[in-house]
Amino acid sequence: MQAVEPELQERFERDALPLLQGLYAAALRLTRNQADAEDLVQETFLRAYRGFSGFEEGTNLRAWLYRILTNTFINMYRKRQREPVTVHEDFTDEWFLYDRLSERSAEKAAEATVLEAMPDDDVRAALEALPEGFRLAVLLADVEGFSYKEIAEILEVPIGTVMSRLHRGRKALQRALWEKVRERGLVTD
Amino acid sequence: MVLSPIDCKQVLRDIQLFLDGEIDRPERGEIERHLGACGQCLDHADFLRALKGLLRARCGCDEVPAELEARVRSALGETSD
Repeated sequence: MQAVEPELQERFERDALPLLQGLYAAALRLTRNQADAEDLVQETFLRAYRGFSGFEEGTNLRAWLYRILTNTFINMYRKRQREPVTVHEDFTDEWFLYDRLSERSAEKAAEATVLEAMPDDDVRAALEALPEGFRLAVLLADVEGFSYKEIAEILEVPIGTVMSRLHRGRKALQRALWEKVRERGLVTD
Repeated sequence: MVLSPIDCKQVLRDIQLFLDGEIDRPERGEIERHLGACGQCLDHADFLRALKGLLRARCGCDEVPAELEARVRSALGETSD
């Protein structure tokens, strides 16, 4: 393999490696286990490194790395973790969780307090339970803070598809969070 | 108090886009004004904001295993040789 020039290597280590923590967290949400997440992060950095000479400095390095992470995940893991592509039509209202939490408390901002009381693992499990397409959209928008346009570029789908997946993914997430809230007894029926 | 030209229905429809930073002025300003005057819409907005904050805080901050960065650096080093 052709050696990467020293200055390119230096630039890669300076600019790309500090993004490792976020990429690792995203890899955990995608693979759902530590060993696979570590492998995915390593493979992502290797691929990025090999392609770094083609990356235009000054453009969106973070989005570029997440695109590689996503593609690598799909290539490496989706074959193993095959999930049903079709999702049943979900008639959940977009205020599903808010309505349920607020009707159980007259206290102001009690909804947010219940959310805050949820253990980390419950929130992570709710996100990780989403079908892959929805999970990626919610992860990139809400956890990573990418714009719809960036997500469209990362996932290589039209913006309309991003919006639709986000909308449906967030509704499914509210339902999953509600189940966790009830299991934990954070609200009384 | 007179509310801004958009009504609650429109605000609740667009509030997620607003919180995602996907709404430009002047509509952005109209939603901000509405939220300043309508407690019910503000409660809804605060809830979605809290939900976004929850995901960000709980799902994006996993501690990186101590040896992972070294492992990645080592793999990159091998590629450079």
